[in-house]
Amino acid sequence: MAVTETKGITDDDFQKFREFFYRKTGIHFDDSKRYFVDKRLVERMQALKSDSFRAYFTTLRFQTTGEELQQLINVMTVNETYFFREEYHFACMISSMLPEIASKKRPGDTIRIWSIPSSSGEEPYSIAIYLQEYWNDLDKFSVELMASDIDTMILEQAQKGVFSERSVGNIPAHVTNKYFRKDKNGMYHLDPDTRSAVEFSRVNLSDSADTRKFRKCDLIFCRNLLIYFDDVSRRIAAEAFFDALNPGGFICLGHSESMSRISGLFKVRKFPEAIVYQKP
Amino acid sequence: MGFAKAGQRPAEAGDTAEETAMDLPALIRGLRDPEADMRRRCAKDLVSYPEAVHALAATLDIERVQNVREMVMTTLALIGTPEAVAVLLPCLRSDDAFLRNEAIEVLKQLPNSLAPMMEQLLKDQDPDVRIFAVNVLESLRHPSVVQWLLNVVESDPHVNVVATALDLLSEVGDENCIESLLKAQERFANEPYLQFAVRTALDRIEQSKEST
Repeated sequence: MAVTETKGITDDDFQKFREFFYRKTGIHFDDSKRYFVDKRLVERMQALKSDSFRAYFTTLRFQTTGEELQQLINVMTVNETYFFREEYHFACMISSMLPEIASKKRPGDTIRIWSIPSSSGEEPYSIAIYLQEYWNDLDKFSVELMASDIDTMILEQAQKGVFSERSVGNIPAHVTNKYFRKDKNGMYHLDPDTRSAVEFSRVNLSDSADTRKFRKCDLIFCRNLLIYFDDVSRRIAAEAFFDALNPGGFICLGHSESMSRISGLFKVRKFPEAIVYQKP
Repeated sequence: MGFAKAGQRPAEAGDTAEETAMDLPALIRGLRDPEADMRRRCAKDLVSYPEAVHALAATLDIERVQNVREMVMTTLALIGTPEAVAVLLPCLRSDDAFLRNEAIEVLKQLPNSLAPMMEQLLKDQDPDVRIFAVNVLESLRHPSVVQWLLNVVESDPHVNVVATALDLLSEVGDENCIESLLKAQERFANEPYLQFAVRTALDRIEQSKEST
């Protein structure tokens, strides 16, 4: 493990830090991320005026409010989204989860899918596009696609359905051409039918008054959100998802997240495309 | 068929949780309801009643449905008072691994309520309980963690308890811990693992010192 020390942060500091950060978040930084990690640690040390890594690490570990850990998580995680991100979950939805869900329903029944956080809309719209493109049984069921976020500004943006080139860059060209119109400024406008397939709402996942509106869901996408939560908030979120799902319903978390580390409420299901969690 | 919106069709039973508010006595009675969903719902709603911690703890002894037990634990974590901590501590002695592990996880989240009881917990007669207490310290955000660990390293008679504390001290300790580490090395001179653990902790502290 040949790594380069950044001023003030030794190999041993890096080792200690990544062990600690993994325990808190489930995110592991390998040696190749050393520069990325060191740079952000130094920034946070400067922000707190810590004169050594040891002093900073002590604050990080023992600060009662956990505020600095949250700050560090924020800078260590890249909060970006784009269409078809972590696409294996959508493939798993089509090939494995929906067939299992549909097998327990009758034609005409409702299938509810909840995407939280919706952010600027890329995830729920990706689900809508995937369903139209790849799920042959879409016409047999009534699919309610709900999307939520705590941020009302981002919800407004999501509902407009206008995206940058970077945002749609991961979509196959023929699919982009089918579902988007490119304007003269290079922005991509999602077609109105797909846009109207998604019902947006503001939800604070930690507030049971918000989450109790969501029941009888069959599939929940909650990816790359719980890493921002503290332990108690993660438990509350897991309880909310449990209440929201039908028995046998599935939840997809981000690649660095593990429900098993949060709660024993769900079973792990290993499908060929992805590992997901299921309400018994 | 195809896409539809919940708001554009007649509401169906169970679309949302339509729950009638229950008062404290009803919620406590509900913890013994034959229906697990009702017991879970009551455990959840008792979060508004810190005085219900004993009723919640009593449920843990008899409840067998996993999702209800988890909800009881979550509610105790959210209540988070010293009384909530007090009813969780006996779980550390339980033969039920779920209760022990859940209690450790919840206690880690309650540093201020747990702190006044930690010294007593670290002197418990049962070495397993003392190990669990050190496990709690692993993620407890409290300024006394290092001092508590030093007390264990200096005085606990059980090698496994000291070894657990050393593992953690190697991560969080500084040069002020060296004397205590050397004492432990001397006290357990015939325990190879402990000798190794002390050397590892000393090496790490030395490296941290050089980097500052």
